[in-house]
Amino acid sequence: MAGILDVPKPRINCSMLSQFINRAVCFIGRVEKVHPTGKMFTVMDGEGKTATVELNEPVEEELSGIVEVIGMVSNKGEIMASTYNLLREDKGVPFDLELYNEALKVIHDFPQHYPFQVAASG
Amino acid sequence: MASLSTGAIEALANGSGWNEAVLQLVNIRKIDGGSGPSRFRVMMSDGRHTLSSFMLSTQLNYMAEENLLVPNCVCVLKRQVTNMLKDGRRVVIILEIDVIKPADASGKIGDPIPYSDGQSRGPQPAPVPESRSPLQPQNRNEAVVRNLKRDFAKKTPSALPDTPGGSSKIVPIASLNPYQSKWTIRARVTNKSSIRTWSNARGEGKLFSMEIVDESGEIRVTGFNQEVDKFFSLIEVGKVYYISKGSLKIANKQYTSVKNDYEMTLNGESTVIPCEDSCDVPMVQCDFVPIGDLENREKDAIVDVIGVCKSVDELTRLTTKSNREVSKRTLSLMDISGKLVTVTLWGEEAEKFDGSGQPIVAIKSAKLSDFGGRSLSASFSSTMMINPDIPEAYKLRGWFDKEGHAMEGQSLTEVRGAGGRLSENWKSLADVKSEHLGHGDKADYYSCIATIVFLRKENCLYQACPTQDCNKKVVDQQNGMFRCEKCDKEFPNFKYRLILSANIADYADNQWVTCFQDSAEAILGQNAAYLGQLKDSNESAFDEIFQQANFNTFIFRNRVKLETYNDESRIKATVMDVKPVDHREYSKRLIMNIRSMGAK
Repeated sequence: MAGILDVPKPRINCSMLSQFINRAVCFIGRVEKVHPTGKMFTVMDGEGKTATVELNEPVEEELSGIVEVIGMVSNKGEIMASTYNLLREDKGVPFDLELYNEALKVIHDFPQHYPFQVAASG
Repeated sequence: MASLSTGAIEALANGSGWNEAVLQLVNIRKIDGGSGPSRFRVMMSDGRHTLSSFMLSTQLNYMAEENLLVPNCVCVLKRQVTNMLKDGRRVVIILEIDVIKPADASGKIGDPIPYSDGQSRGPQPAPVPESRSPLQPQNRNEAVVRNLKRDFAKKTPSALPDTPGGSSKIVPIASLNPYQSKWTIRARVTNKSSIRTWSNARGEGKLFSMEIVDESGEIRVTGFNQEVDKFFSLIEVGKVYYISKGSLKIANKQYTSVKNDYEMTLNGESTVIPCEDSCDVPMVQCDFVPIGDLENREKDAIVDVIGVCKSVDELTRLTTKSNREVSKRTLSLMDISGKLVTVTLWGEEAEKFDGSGQPIVAIKSAKLSDFGGRSLSASFSSTMMINPDIPEAYKLRGWFDKEGHAMEGQSLTEVRGAGGRLSENWKSLADVKSEHLGHGDKADYYSCIATIVFLRKENCLYQACPTQDCNKKVVDQQNGMFRCEKCDKEFPNFKYRLILSANIADYADNQWVTCFQDSAEAILGQNAAYLGQLKDSNESAFDEIFQQANFNTFIFRNRVKLETYNDESRIKATVMDVKPVDHREYSKRLIMNIRSMGAK
């Protein structure tokens, strides 16, 4: 897990999953369904498409609302999560998933202006 | 030595015309104009003939009044227009004339005889004696001149006032000009103002104005004093009238979009008679500008527009600087160009407006502003028509029902922030300097997102008059009393008020600004009274407030203006309003800007 935290993790949505196979990514989406085992759940992105997230250990808390997942994209296009982070809905301005998706598109359309590939210093 | 243009008189009198005729002025006579301007009648000679049917155009009256045109001076007739009277005689209106030799330098040149053109069909004897003896003593001339004037009047079909629909010849509005006064037009009143009064050093008066239209065009008409009494109540908007004998002058285009070089004033001789048969006369004359073209027009231009009212906002009330309450409503207008523009209505028009059913709205003489990019405002002189009965309206309705209703449209007026009614003018702090905002005659307003980087806590509070609404600084009398010069009273107390000097910065530049009470309290998060108390009692708590306030980011709405103190000019920026950043709106705006930049 330490490894993944040192690497830049591009933010993506479902359409971009196939381009990031075997790479570390950051995915934000709304929790849809949690598998009974608790080790898998589906998330929907700002475009309405769905991705599957797999966890190492079953989730212990109630998963709902917007979640930010950091993990590797598998060959099958699923996200093998290293860590996740639920965004609080009770405080602050509600997260606008569609607007986030628009911002994502801008970042990917103009990579020359968003150079995230700078290696994090040790 | 100037030699006269021999033969010019004959040419001018018979209609052949003569350019740059060199003539000697033989006589000049003032004709009292009643309630209009005086006219000057001139007799000219070319050395061979004299002709007295020259009239000075009113804009040259000053030449006569200042004695530039006197008998025996030699002139060049630079510009003239020849009008034919109903009896076949010609009158030459002098539009431009230069004196090339003063009167005393020459006596009468040649021995000219009066020109009789032989074409005169006038049965009346009066004109003949006039042309035979032009140089008779004053009173004779006067009598003759008056006769002539009456003749003119007689020759005009006098049936006009009695039988409006009868034999009178109607001329088109487009042909009206200051050099002909004996005309009749038939026009519909499209707009009538209320009676306005004035009182200044030169006296008092009242006036009303209206706009009238016929098949050929439109014109603005004004009536003063007596004409107000005569005509104001008679005239109704939407009705058609025969109007005759108004005076014409060059139009002041600043306040109206009426397309005419001239405007009309009703005078003592003017008549206004209702016309029964009016269906031919159009309802309104508009020269509609496509909404998409508004970007190319100058700000403050007066334009006519027509479009579908795509959406309309709630009526709001605001208080003007002079503490008057006024109603306001904005609506969004879209036309075939696919572009939208925000239109602001005021007062009763705003209150009465019903935008349900997305009606076609046409506005004549709307004012174009650069508020929010481009926006329109309906002013006092604008006329608004809902679903007007004109072809453009039907065309728009057809287009909108078929395809227009589905279009999003692109607005020329900047997207307003959620709940924000003002059209914001977003600038970076570097733009403010590079665009020289505030350097013009008027103050400029802009919005920006900036972070506070410095707050001056010294001298941010002052002692103000405790009277409500008076914020003048009071003088400490040192005896426990405080004096307000404005209220001319002394008080045992005062209220603290804030004037906060701050430096704000964004990615591009920084700016010193002054924040008054409301915005200062918003930034510091405390009210002035409490701050004043803390300053006197607990200095470290006072400092803490400033520490906490520093490095916060806000949306600032600022006013900049160039101010001059003792020969030194500096840009002063004042914070009008301060708001927390709405990140969603900000993000949307940034994305929109990025996309439009990327598209170029």
